[in-house]
Amino acid sequence: MVRIAGLRRGGIVLTLLGLAGLIGLYWMSFFWVSTELTQGIVQRIFYVHVPAAWTTFLAFGFCALTSGVYLWLRDERLDRAALCAAEGGLVFATIMLTTGPLWARIAWGTYWTWEPRLTMTLLLWFIYLGYFMVRSSTEDPERGKRFAAVVAIIGAIQIPFIHLSVLWFRSLHPQPVVVRPDGPSLPGDMLTTLLTGAAVFLVLFMGLFLFRYALETLRAEADRRARTSTI
Amino acid sequence: MSTYFRQLGAIVAKDLLLELRSRDRISSMGAFAVLAAVLFHFSLDTSTTRPQDVAAGLIWMTLIFGGLLGVGRTFHIESQDGAMQGILTSPAHKDAVFLGKTLANFALLFVVSLLVLGVFTLFFRLELGANVGWLVLVLGLGSLGFVALGTLFAAVSSGTSMGETLLPILVFPLLVPMVVYGAGTTGRLIAARPFSEVEGNVKLLGAFALAALAAGAVLFRYVVEE
Amino acid sequence: MTMSTFRSPARRVGFALGFLLLVCVSLGAREVLGMQQPATPQSLKPFWHVFAAYAVVIILVGGWAFSIARRLRDVERRLVD
Repeated sequence: MVRIAGLRRGGIVLTLLGLAGLIGLYWMSFFWVSTELTQGIVQRIFYVHVPAAWTTFLAFGFCALTSGVYLWLRDERLDRAALCAAEGGLVFATIMLTTGPLWARIAWGTYWTWEPRLTMTLLLWFIYLGYFMVRSSTEDPERGKRFAAVVAIIGAIQIPFIHLSVLWFRSLHPQPVVVRPDGPSLPGDMLTTLLTGAAVFLVLFMGLFLFRYALETLRAEADRRARTSTI
Repeated sequence: MSTYFRQLGAIVAKDLLLELRSRDRISSMGAFAVLAAVLFHFSLDTSTTRPQDVAAGLIWMTLIFGGLLGVGRTFHIESQDGAMQGILTSPAHKDAVFLGKTLANFALLFVVSLLVLGVFTLFFRLELGANVGWLVLVLGLGSLGFVALGTLFAAVSSGTSMGETLLPILVFPLLVPMVVYGAGTTGRLIAARPFSEVEGNVKLLGAFALAALAAGAVLFRYVVEE
Repeated sequence: MTMSTFRSPARRVGFALGFLLLVCVSLGAREVLGMQQPATPQSLKPFWHVFAAYAVVIILVGGWAFSIARRLRDVERRLVD
């Protein structure tokens, strides 16, 4: 129980740190960084959209990894970690999928572009929706955990194929000319803001992950007590 | 090694024999294929769309929806009379069970895919010409990848309370590569482009099928363990 | 949201910060846009999109944090019983 309290405290501290960093990031992206020439003010969404994407892929990758090791070692803590990472991944994927169209509408005139990163995130969102559906719709929770782990692993295996096929598909169709501010010639202040965003989102994710992990550990303890007390 | 193949063969033969006797899966898949082609024909406005232009995509969608019908019921037979426990406690390797079931499903779906191709050629007035052989290959590779994923997730979904309704949700995101490469290649072959143009995509489709088979064979044991 | 939402001091701080942030964002964004010319609906549209995007981040991250806290409270109540 002491360890859970430590996790929880660590989670809350990191989250508050992340929130403070978020305020700093917002300040940077509004008052400090220069306005992009062609897109104007709306390009500033880039500083939350791309870090959200990176955090999403990190979360889902971590989930697939821990799921794989869980199937191998059967340590409950690995499954709990996978669950927390999947939940975080869904949150940040939702951020990415809402900020993307908000940006695209002004910048390129259309709400949805089949941009590879956006398409991948949409598909991953549904794969991990399946992760949660499969977990919650089995009678035996242990089976549910195994099913979910399989879903996470297959999802991860498919990523290279999905990416390649989307790229090929896009090469056939004329796309709106995408001004990519994250090209190799990204100006210094924009790069700094972007990296700050990445760091802030990472801290936020880690903090909330620990917080969620503490919750899951406590819940497992409560379930265990409920089971043993009814015997 | 030979025992492995014998076990594999036994499972394939069992499933196909049961299917031959009852014919329920193949008849529902076959009827679906024809009726879907009819409905798709009526859904097109030929004054604005040339049927030949959209046929490839519709062929693959018909294959996917029809395939789901059949694959979803893969473990239906085993759910009765404790037959699943029987198979799992037998000396057969779990991956042999998976591959056996997958191959049996593939046989069914491949036959249906040929039916779909034939029906669409008829209804949509396609001229296949010399590319027929390549088309059959592409449909075969696509079907293989599809049944590999479908069989694995059929085992998953039949262990949940949602059952077969969960199967499309689990499988559809993973089918994007299959649809992109399959439909893209089919469209070009129907438009009488040379095979050399689509060779790369066909190889990727094959790689996709191989990866799906391998992943399914490895992960199946975790799905079915008690 | 009921009064119980503002029970803990941490929550009060959180909400105050959030409100402050929204105010700053609104003021700052208008400044950045350079409101020399009259604000037509057309020229304000990018501003709204940026505002919405930045608000979405706070809402979703905060929402997740809030959801974890609520579930934690429920589990702790279960453990006490």
